[in-house]
Amino acid sequence: MTIIEKTEALTFQDRAGSRRATKMIRDWALPILILMVFLVASVSVPEFYKFETIRAILLATSIIGIIAVGMTAITLSGNLFSLGVSASAVFSGVIYIWVGHSTGSMYIAALAAIAAAVVLGIVQGFIVGLGLNAVIVTLAAGSIIYGVTAIMTKGEVVQAESASLEGFATFQLFGIPLPIYIFILFTALAWFLTEHTLIGRNVHLLGSNRHTARNSGISTMGTTIWAFTAFSLGIGIAGVLQASQMHQIQADNLSGLTMDVVAAVLVGGTAVAGGDGSPIKSAIGALFIATITQVMVLLGIDQGPRYFVLGVVVVVLVIVLHLLRKAGAR
Amino acid sequence: MSSVGAWIQRYLLQLVLLLVVLGAMYALNPQFHVESSIERLIPLGVIAAGLAVTLIAGEFDLSVASMAAFSGAVAVALSGMGLLVSVIIAILAGILLGMLQGWAIAKLGISSVVFTIGTLILIRGLTWLVCGGLSIRVEDITATDLFRGQLLFLSPLSITALVIIVGLGIFLSRTRWGRELYALGGARQEAIAAGVSHKRGMIIAFGISGGCSAVGGSLVSAMGGSAAPAALEIMLVTALSAVLVGGISLAGGRGTMVNVFLGFSIIAILSAGLAASGSKAFVSVLFVGLLLLVVVLLDYSLRLFSERERRNKIRKLAVTAA
Repeated sequence: MTIIEKTEALTFQDRAGSRRATKMIRDWALPILILMVFLVASVSVPEFYKFETIRAILLATSIIGIIAVGMTAITLSGNLFSLGVSASAVFSGVIYIWVGHSTGSMYIAALAAIAAAVVLGIVQGFIVGLGLNAVIVTLAAGSIIYGVTAIMTKGEVVQAESASLEGFATFQLFGIPLPIYIFILFTALAWFLTEHTLIGRNVHLLGSNRHTARNSGISTMGTTIWAFTAFSLGIGIAGVLQASQMHQIQADNLSGLTMDVVAAVLVGGTAVAGGDGSPIKSAIGALFIATITQVMVLLGIDQGPRYFVLGVVVVVLVIVLHLLRKAGAR
Repeated sequence: MSSVGAWIQRYLLQLVLLLVVLGAMYALNPQFHVESSIERLIPLGVIAAGLAVTLIAGEFDLSVASMAAFSGAVAVALSGMGLLVSVIIAILAGILLGMLQGWAIAKLGISSVVFTIGTLILIRGLTWLVCGGLSIRVEDITATDLFRGQLLFLSPLSITALVIIVGLGIFLSRTRWGRELYALGGARQEAIAAGVSHKRGMIIAFGISGGCSAVGGSLVSAMGGSAAPAALEIMLVTALSAVLVGGISLAGGRGTMVNVFLGFSIIAILSAGLAASGSKAFVSVLFVGLLLLVVVLLDYSLRLFSERERRNKIRKLAVTAA
């Protein structure tokens, strides 16, 4: 009798140990992978450790990262991801330039653009909150927003004529551009909200077990709308930064953005089924994607192979993370 | 006679929608010719049919648009071997890739949405690789004539599409493997407990959807004589709209090829009609998106309504029993 109990206790401890080990691999795999990419790059690319290169990587990270951090809220809440990122970001970029022209103030313009994105996000959050499939709703919303943006701008390029709208992209502190600070701040805020507030905990709970969450009095509708608000806040900010960086925007722009953001969230290691993950993971995922893209650019690799490598990395990491999670749950 | 009545009742919503769209397009533009403008959109119908098969099996293939672009690129890149041969190779590649996806999804026990969003990026990357980052063209442009001929009143394109849709319809409703897909989509646990092979089902479903996307994509490229790395991205939304507007259930296990045909006709007439009346392409994207959203919401409210009816009925029974 006692022997049986002992073996049971042992196996339980074993299992706890292996679970902790897989969790550690899951948490640290990506930072180590990024480190390895940096090491390989510093050997093979002589220009890599220049200040400009690192700054370019961080700048590319910030746009993808801000949205990926926001999208983590949707993924955590068990609503998969949004496939309408590009259209919404372009929409808020257009609003930014238009309002900037009519008012002359980039701050009012930025507020208007972010507000527009948030309104769109809340509407989508409401529809998803009813219990509809988030992927399909955001895909449909994405094409509607794209169509409306294209009709509003007649399919033409919207140009920022005055230089006053570039402020957000050109402002620097200690040689580091503003978007990077905004990205870090946004990530910290998102981390605090998801880990240390009631809303964040509700988002976690809704994602890990929808029925239990509902039975314990968590509003599916309210929580989903909060998640989409966080997401669209990210989109609005990214749209403003993008528009002020490029001085112009067109409905067809940013077509690769949706996939970059989804890739960042997937690679970061947030569970797509919901409930498990963190905005910081997605931020690291965005850093990883921006880093390997930049390294390949420096190595002179064409756009074609670059996309292919990105795809391979995403699929491999998705499979590995899935297997690790399965092993950890056993 | 009653079976015809039942048939009409079953597809009533779609038939009414079809007539409304057709009427609206004729009102908008009296010179609108249905036959000539739909021809261009037929590959969409084939891709939608493949997507529908995965939805019926309770899964979701997000990689259809990338797969179509990939096989289009393969068909053009290999056109030196003769366009017909390269198209067949492209289609075989699509079927194989699709089967591989299905096998991986079953083997890993991973959600198909997660896996196919990964392969969406991967296969798009493959397309960039095949194209070398540029638009590519068929060297001998006369080779494309093969795909533009006429047989009686049908083009080779519409014959292919019809054969595929009818064939899939027979496969799904009359064969054992086809019916197993419905079982896997409608009640996965029960089907597996009853001895349906999950792995085989996934391989078949994703093989079909990969093959159909490949047929659609390579035919587009073979007709136009060119392929581009970023082409056909819009196909995912459009095919999904066609399938859902046609009445295939997102929950899995329900829907037939008739649904796909009706859904495709509605979307095709809508886009063709808008294009014929001089609207830009983005206007039709807007309307396709709107239609998709409306149909999903409508489907949701109908489900809510029938659920409430069912509950009331049970409550009434319980009261009378007590």
